[in-house]
Parts: sequence; C-alpha cells; structure tokens
Amino acid sequence: MLRIDGLSASYGNIQVLKGISIQVPKGKVVSIIGANGAGKTTLLKSISGLIKIQEGRIVYKEKDIAGRPASRIVGLGISQVPEGRQIFSHLSVQDNIHLGAFLYFKRRNRLEIQKRVERLYEIFPVLKDRTKQIAGTLSGGEQQMLAIARALMGRPELLLMDEPSMGIAPLIVREIFDVIQQLNEAGTTILLVEQNAKAALKVAHHSYVLERGEIVLEGLAKELLDNPKIKEVYLGG
Amino acid sequence: METISFAGQLFQYLITGLTVGSIYAMVAVGFNIIYNVTDIINFAQGEFVMLGGLIMVFFHVAVGLPLILAFPSTVILVTAVGILIDRLAIRPIRRPSVLTLIIATIALSILIKGAAMFIWGKDPYDLPAFSGRNPINFIGAVIQPQYFWVFGFLVFIAVALTFFFDRTIIGKAMSACADNPDAASLVGIDVKRMVLLSFALSAAIGAIAGIVITPISLMEYDRGAMLAVKGFGAAILGGLGSFPGAIIGGLILGSIESFGAGLVHSGYKDAFALIVLMAVLFFKPSGILGDIEISKIKRF
Ligand SMILES: Nc1ncnc2c1ncn2[C@@H]1O[C@H](COP(=O)(O)OP(=O)(O)OP(=O)(O)O)[C@@H](O)[C@H]1O
Ligand SMILES: [Mg+2]
Repeated sequence: MLRIDGLSASYGNIQVLKGISIQVPKGKVVSIIGANGAGKTTLLKSISGLIKIQEGRIVYKEKDIAGRPASRIVGLGISQVPEGRQIFSHLSVQDNIHLGAFLYFKRRNRLEIQKRVERLYEIFPVLKDRTKQIAGTLSGGEQQMLAIARALMGRPELLLMDEPSMGIAPLIVREIFDVIQQLNEAGTTILLVEQNAKAALKVAHHSYVLERGEIVLEGLAKELLDNPKIKEVYLGG
Repeated sequence: METISFAGQLFQYLITGLTVGSIYAMVAVGFNIIYNVTDIINFAQGEFVMLGGLIMVFFHVAVGLPLILAFPSTVILVTAVGILIDRLAIRPIRRPSVLTLIIATIALSILIKGAAMFIWGKDPYDLPAFSGRNPINFIGAVIQPQYFWVFGFLVFIAVALTFFFDRTIIGKAMSACADNPDAASLVGIDVKRMVLLSFALSAAIGAIAGIVITPISLMEYDRGAMLAVKGFGAAILGGLGSFPGAIIGGLILGSIESFGAGLVHSGYKDAFALIVLMAVLFFKPSGILGDIEISKIKRF
C-alpha cells in the first residue's frame, strides 16, 4: 500500500533521514522503533506532507505523493495521529471530532458522519460523556484518544501513529493498543512509531529499527522480539 | 433657543459615544478575526475603514450609483484589497514570525494611506446619510437617523459572525488554524486559504464600518491609523480574540471618549482611549472577557 524508496530529509544543514526504504503492505501493522531523535517523527511528517523531503519517493497506491501539501494527502486516505496529540485545545471535543471530517463535512454526508461519530464513541466511551468539554482540559490519555478519534474521522485507509503511548499510564496504554489491534482487524493499515518497543512489536506484523536516520534492522515483529540486540537495547535486557 | 438639560446632555454623550464605539467595535472584530486565525495583529485594519468610506463616496457620489449598488460594490472592492494584502504581503514572507508579519501590516497601512492621499487628496469627503439628516429629538438628545444604521450593522455583524464561527465547519476550521496550524492541515484544512479568508472577512467588515460612519464623521485619507489604535484598544479592553469582548470593548471605549470629551476637555479625546488601553494592559491584560489561560497559551 505504501512504499518508501531512498527517502532523505533534513532540517537546514542537519540531515535527519538518510535514504530510508520501507514498505507497508495493505492490511498490516508495521511498526518503527528507535531511540529519541532517531528520526521517527520526521519520517511520519514526510509521509503526511508536513515537511518537504529532499530526495526519494513516497509511493502510495502506485502514486508518488512526495511534495504534495499535507491538506491534500489526508484526502487520499492517509491520516496522522501526531506526536504529542496536537488536538485543537480551545475547541470542544465534538468540534475536534467534526473537524476530523472536514473534507467531507457536508449536509448530504450528515448520516455517514453521525454513524462514524457513534462508532467512535463506542470505541472511546470516555469521549462520549465529554462532547462539550474544551479539549485542552481533557486528561492526557483522553486527549490521545481524541487525537486518534479525530484522525479516524478522516476515513483513513492508512493510519500513521506517532507514539500513541507517550506519557500515558500503562493501563490506558493497553487500551490504546487494543484499539490499534481492533482497527487493524477492521481493515485499516497502520504505520506505528513507538518508543515502547515491547508493545509495538507485539501488535505489529513487521518492524523496522531506525537509528540516527537509517534503518539498521528489519524483520517480522515476532522475530525481533527474540532478537538479542533488540532485547538489550530496546526491551531493557 | 431652549436650554438643553444636563440629563439630556449626558444622554447625548452616551448616544454619540455608542455610535463611535460601534465603529471601534467593528474594527476590533476585524482585528480579532485575523488574530484568531493567524495570531497576528493586522495594523492595516483601520485602512479598510478609510477605504470603505472613500470608495463608497466614489461609487455613490462621484459615479452616482444608488446606495443599494454602491454599498456592495464598495465592500467587494475593499475585500479584494484585503485579499491582495494577503497574497502580496503576508503569504510571500518566507519565514513568517508573528513579529515580521505585524511589521508587514504596519508597512502596508502606511502604503495604503499614501495611495489614498494620492488618489483622493487630503480633504475630507462627505457622504449623504442613508435615511436623510432629520434628527430625532429624544429626552433632550439629538439622534441622527444614521446612528440607527450604525447600530444595526453592528448587530448584524455580531449575529452573522457568531453564527459563522459557532455553527459552520469553515468557521471552526478557521479557529482550528489559530489553535494548531499543523494539526489543521492534517485534517485537510488548507491553512493558507483560511488566512486569506480571514483577511477577506475583516476587510469586508472594515469596509462596512467605513461606509456607515462617513455620513456622520466624514472620511479622509489619514483616518485609518487612529481607528486602528482605537479598535486595538477596544479589542484589548474586551479581551483579544473574543468577539463579544470586542463589541463591549468598543462600546465602552466610545462612551469613555465621548463623556471625557464632553465633561473634561474635548482636546483630550484621543488620550482617554490610550489611557484605558494602558490601564487594561497594566491591570488585566486578558481583558474583560478574555480567557487568562488562553492568553497564556497564545504566542502574542
Ligand atoms: N523542526 C526542526 N528543526 C531542526 N531540527 C529538528 C526539527 N525537528 C526535529 N529535528 C531534529 O531531527 C532529529 C530527529 O527528530 P525526530 O523528531 O524525527 O526524532 P524522533 O525519532 O521522533 O524522536 P522522539 O522519539 O524523541 O520523538 C532530532 O535530532 C531533532 O533534534
Ligand atoms: Mg518523535
């Protein structure tokens, strides 16, 4: 579904991604693990169009989408749950969710939107009780769920998730990973970036290890879980 | 000649103050629209008012178009100026920071003022009042029919904007851009287009303000800067970013000015507004209706 060939990106003079190639097959969960500053967020932002890449191809459904603006890429079916939630903190929960459907928010789609919202409230019941609450006043975990819900309103076929477990209590982390699994079973392809390597490897089919802007290891997630190097560096021995 | 009672005189000050205050309120609303989308203060906001007045004079008096045609033509033309400002001066700035953008708007206001002087000269222009100039006497105060038009348009703008920002997805999308532009583009909002829309909208409101006030106070090329200061004062007084705040702030500021000029000294008229502005910045920077939390989060 998504194929990246030789992707390079930099901020000013500092090269952050150095010729990365990955594949995300349709219907799978692919995870990318790596330490702070490895370039994971940069990779996701390159795909979603938030930053301009230097070199390489980003092929989504046989089309090179590199260089298109972010506001166009959503319409192709790629939604991103950004790092650190990035919800619209001054707007209500409901407004955040509706804005997720910005591109097709028309009267004639009212029923579809209503149905989607209801389904989301089933997945995230905490949000349902807080539709009128200002999003910035939600707890961190609730904000993360809202960020996921907003991205799902974009009708993604490919969902990019940037550290959904960041700063969240273990119990809620499990809940979020359950949701990831659930979404995938319902047919959404997922590219997941995580520091929480254990959880990421458990939910993923395939994984890449990113170090200082380069892919240093890849393989089936199950195998990487047993890889001694991974165990030592990312799973804490 | 009958003597005007003191109560009647106070009432007169109030009415005059509220009328002028309505214009400040409209300018403040224009500030807020752009501020809410971009975090920048558009100091060319007052120039929209000036252009509104002078272009209306051109269409209505010089060309002779009837009011009903001259009014929308003027609004459209000034809106086009707002769009041009965004296209030519705001968007091309390569590494925009709030400060560089604000400075760009100051430069623009000077430029527009110069162009207006070139076109219209330095004399003030008059515009016929919409419903004549037969004043209505009410509890000893003299009320021009045009005052009602000013209030009416303020109410219209307030209602229309409330609906737009609270009820429509485009309005919400505009707020989302101010909140988090990257996240906004991730849901498919074209942030640049929203910025353009905010300039168009506040130019249109500025034009309306200029059109309705010119029959009362005339209009000349250099009126914009002072209107911008007053409107900014009103916006700060009400709480930057808040629409109800802008309207209350404008009406209060207009009244203070009017009472101050009438009861203290008319020469200090403009000073009152600045004193109020500084007092607010000193004692309650978030304004009357401003949200302290939000004013902390905002970049400016
Ligand atoms: N806007 C920016 N300007 C300059 N350098 C940046 C910018 N954003 C990121 N970087 C640098 O690029 C490198 C990679 O950053 P990136 O955010 O992609 O890392 P990451 O793998 O997501 O890290 P983390 O796990 O901490 O989120 C870092 O060294 C970072 O300092
Ligand atoms: Mg990151």
